[in-house]
Amino acid sequence: MLKIDNLKAGIEGLEILKGINLSVKKGEVHAIMGPNGSGKSTLSSVIAGNENYEVISGSISFEGEDLLDLDPDQRAHKGVFLSFQYPVEIPGISVSNFIKAAITEKRKVLGLEAMSAKDLLLKMKEKMDLLDMQKGYLSRNMNEGFSGGEKKRNEIFQMAMLEPKLAILDETDSGLDIDALRVVANGVNKLKNSENATIVITHYQRLLDHIIPDYVHVLHNGRIVKSGGKELAHELEKKGYDWITKEADKKWG
Amino acid sequence: MGLIDNIKEYQHNFAVNSKKEKAYLSFLEQGFPNTKNEEWKFSSLKKIISNDFSIEDKGIEINTEEINHNSLNFNYKIIFVNGVLDSKPIIKGVKINKHVDESPSFSNAFSALNAAFSNTGYEINVDPNIIIEEPIEILFLTKNSSNNFIQYRNKIVLGENSQIKIIESVKNIGDQYCFTNMQTNIKLNRSSNIEFNKLQNNNDSQITIDETSLTQEENSNSTVNTLLFGGMFTRNNLNFAQNGEHCESNMNGVVILDDNEFGDNHTYMDHKNANCESNELYKGIYLGKSRGVFNGKIMVQPDAQKINAFQANNNLLVSDNASINSKPQLEIYADDVKCSHGCTIGQLDENALFYMNTRGIRKEDARAILTFAFASEALEKISINKIEDLAKDLIAQKLKVDLSF
Ligand SMILES: Nc1ncnc2c1ncn2[C@@H]1O[C@H](COP(=O)(O)OP(=O)(O)OP(=O)(O)O)[C@@H](O)[C@H]1O
Ligand SMILES: [Mg+2]
Repeated sequence: MLKIDNLKAGIEGLEILKGINLSVKKGEVHAIMGPNGSGKSTLSSVIAGNENYEVISGSISFEGEDLLDLDPDQRAHKGVFLSFQYPVEIPGISVSNFIKAAITEKRKVLGLEAMSAKDLLLKMKEKMDLLDMQKGYLSRNMNEGFSGGEKKRNEIFQMAMLEPKLAILDETDSGLDIDALRVVANGVNKLKNSENATIVITHYQRLLDHIIPDYVHVLHNGRIVKSGGKELAHELEKKGYDWITKEADKKWG
Repeated sequence: MGLIDNIKEYQHNFAVNSKKEKAYLSFLEQGFPNTKNEEWKFSSLKKIISNDFSIEDKGIEINTEEINHNSLNFNYKIIFVNGVLDSKPIIKGVKINKHVDESPSFSNAFSALNAAFSNTGYEINVDPNIIIEEPIEILFLTKNSSNNFIQYRNKIVLGENSQIKIIESVKNIGDQYCFTNMQTNIKLNRSSNIEFNKLQNNNDSQITIDETSLTQEENSNSTVNTLLFGGMFTRNNLNFAQNGEHCESNMNGVVILDDNEFGDNHTYMDHKNANCESNELYKGIYLGKSRGVFNGKIMVQPDAQKINAFQANNNLLVSDNASINSKPQLEIYADDVKCSHGCTIGQLDENALFYMNTRGIRKEDARAILTFAFASEALEKISINKIEDLAKDLIAQKLKVDLSF
């Protein structure tokens, strides 16, 4: 589904990603872990199409198509979704109007019939139930004045509404309380099927207790320096990153 | 030639020593304001007045279809066709007439010019205790055959405890320059209430000078919503004077201009009495090479204690070639006053745009949605749904997107 080949990218002459290779297949869950500043959010931004980052070399293909050729909205229409580490406040637009605009446009581009207001509302209700959200959310302005946890829940709500093929969850767990973490993780699990894939970026094992990854990767200084199964995350939780990063630094200098 | 010479040709048309001749001579003495005048510093008329204008253009006949097409089709309509009162509604307790003021007052070049030449406009008198919920539409429609210069003079008097809502627009469907100089005086007697909506959605041959002055007696409440969506050159002077206590004055504006359009909103809030309130919110959106001016003056007179005055002017420069000059002016001579003002000039938030893009919303639509969200706060005081919806449609049109906000 997603294939990243020797991707180098950066900002204003600073190389942040220094050759990323990653392959994600349908139905898989990948976890990306790594120290602060290692490039996890940069990688998700580049996949989503943030023009602030310059792709220096390498490629990203999504379902056989060159993703780097597409604008962020076109990537979204193809089924790429990013749950932001820091969701943006959009004053003046209610959550429901925002989601309505997103869904209407996606359906238009895909040549699907517009969803009726009633169907849309029903679907929103259903997904809000799934994520244990109160009705009041819909009429509030997008992320404006939302608590950290509310913002994260709202990201997953959008994911549930947009039903992406590839979801990248950038530290969705940070800011969520213990109960919310469980609810949100359950929501993500319910949305999972054999046709879609998830990349979970996190610092902590506790999210991976709920969303069980097939692969765990360690990102350090712009490179994936170690990959393994779900047991790698347990090992990291116990031993930290030092033992991996030191070795990597020896290799890459 | 030029407009000033066109005007000079009327030297012998006025009765000697008449009020109109005094006004005419006063104008000639002042001339058109130029950019050396502090109030016109950023608003140059030079190019416009270098053209010739006819002061007595009778216009080309306008058929019913064209009238209906340009009307907003409210139930109550006052329609002027080429300056002639064409239709007016019958409303119990409301007298509507063509207004010819025999002794107009004047205080500046344009009001003097208007006093000298105006021979049309409306006069609305609302009887005490009459509450009219349904809005009255006022349309000045012209179809000119040459560049024309028209003076309208209007007057509204609200009796005690009365209430009306107005939606007014000026429109020229001819293809020559149309220069409109309009003066409107509104008097609110005790406990009366007006909502006055000005729709200025014109093409690039329209030049508008509009001076609207409201005087408010005790306990009265006024709201003026200005929707400036187009026109080659628009200068609005909006003045409020509170003559009694417990008055409330609200002024809201949404300005969206594009291409080479120019829009200038000068407002003057005169707090002359204690225990009053004023709220002012203007949102400006400038696309293309458009230019805007905002000048908001708040005066709090020495005895006007316990005043609450709020003013904000927020601007969005959508294009690098657009510009805005924004100037708040506060003169406060009382000490127990709450007064706040703020002016911002910004661009659309790139992070917000990217966020919306990642949700599948196209760039143009994301821009339009954010722009509309920016403007929407200033639309909130419009109580008439049809006008609010119309404003939303026009904003979408102006932003060239096919969205319903
Ligand atoms: N817009 C930017 N301008 C300057 N430097 C940037 C920018 N974006 C990222 N960087 C730098 O790139 C590096 C990687 O940042 P990134 O946000 O991708 O890290 P991360 O792995 O997501 O970290 P965290 O775990 O703290 O979220 C950091 O050193 C950061 O300072
Ligand atoms: Mg990060």
